[in-house]
Amino acid sequence: MEINEIISSGLLELYVLGETSAEETLLVQTMAAEHPQIADEIAAIEMAMESYAQAHAIKPSTQVKEKLFAQLNINSSSTNDAKVFSLAETPKKSSIGYWKMAAAAAVVLFVGSAVFNGVMYNKYNTVSNNLANVQNQLKQASKDNDEMASNIRVVQNKNTDYVKLAGLPAAPDAVAKIYWIKNTDEVYIDPSNLPTAPDGKQYQLWAIVDGKPVDGGMIDKSKTSIQKMRSFGKAEAFAVTLEPVGGNPTPKGDMYVMGKL
Amino acid sequence: MIADKKYSEEELVMLLKSKNEQAFAYLYDNYSAAINGVIFRMVDNVELAEDVLQETFVKIWNNLSNYDPLKGRLFTWMINIAKNLTIDTMRSKGFKKQQKVSQDENAVVNLRDENFGADRFDAMGIRKQLANLKPEQRTIIDMAYFSGYTQDEISKEMQLPLGTVKTRMRSAIIELRKMLQYE
Repeated sequence: MEINEIISSGLLELYVLGETSAEETLLVQTMAAEHPQIADEIAAIEMAMESYAQAHAIKPSTQVKEKLFAQLNINSSSTNDAKVFSLAETPKKSSIGYWKMAAAAAVVLFVGSAVFNGVMYNKYNTVSNNLANVQNQLKQASKDNDEMASNIRVVQNKNTDYVKLAGLPAAPDAVAKIYWIKNTDEVYIDPSNLPTAPDGKQYQLWAIVDGKPVDGGMIDKSKTSIQKMRSFGKAEAFAVTLEPVGGNPTPKGDMYVMGKL
Repeated sequence: MIADKKYSEEELVMLLKSKNEQAFAYLYDNYSAAINGVIFRMVDNVELAEDVLQETFVKIWNNLSNYDPLKGRLFTWMINIAKNLTIDTMRSKGFKKQQKVSQDENAVVNLRDENFGADRFDAMGIRKQLANLKPEQRTIIDMAYFSGYTQDEISKEMQLPLGTVKTRMRSAIIELRKMLQYE
């Protein structure tokens, strides 16, 4: 039988009223187990009939309860004293007072829950931001640490030659240091004592090889510690000039520091 | 004892099946009046109704393990036990089924509201709404629900074809559901 056909047949009402034959009962129960739509329809009919019965309730005399519980030999104290209301659901429209209260309580709970959610969400965001900050700090510290370790490795290397580049008239106080690891031909510069390069400008390292300047690479402004530059094989001297960002093929700007090997 | 404890149907059924006495007392306190109302309308005798009510709750207590929530709500199961016991009792005492309800309507409404128990359950409000049901709708619900008539008996009593009884029963209950908003 079609679901809608069953629903509209009146069979479900009879089922709830206990008026179906054994076969009909089995049919309804089978259909209800298979089709939630039918189960829901039955539940709605049941709740309507339950409300109908509650509306026609007649309180029995108190002796009935006493006799009943004595007969069953069980304790008759309940958590609730003779209040009549539906099990899980009570009718929506009819018990207006109760539902107003319930609705008010629900609204209060909802608002409370929304506020609580808001507060918790903010807290979550704060904690989440804090965590991200700490993670970034950790990352930075770890990076700094790696850099430091690599700096120390460069400085402490027994094959490292050290060249101090002294300040020139453009910047008499400026100093830069070159660490040249001879066996691997790695060249490092410590530019931490050069004046801050102005916007649009960048320091460029030069090696003087056979009397001619050879590009040694651009000094990364964002790094304040030792950084790796180009290798040369051989050089007589090193110099640093201030050039436009990206550098020049030959030195054009002011020379800031220079040092001979 | 905590006042005003309220169980969900699932909790209540679980507790009852485990023979929880407190839950059973709760069940009695909350449903005895509704069940008694149905029994009373069938037997029209206060003492007899209460005897059957007591017997009904004994049967409920002893047969809880047979209750299957998948087959219907607890109240439906209880009310059907009550109705079957009432019909058996009436048969054994030679009662004839009477269509009691329509005639005693005023008497019932005049009972003190305390008899209907509920401050939470707005019985008065529902009864007012029920006045909006068409008399024929009300009669057919009451015959089945309060007088224990089978559909065949209703068909004979009201001189209606069986199919009409079914459809009229459905439309009456749909009307009831609309009023109670169980749609």
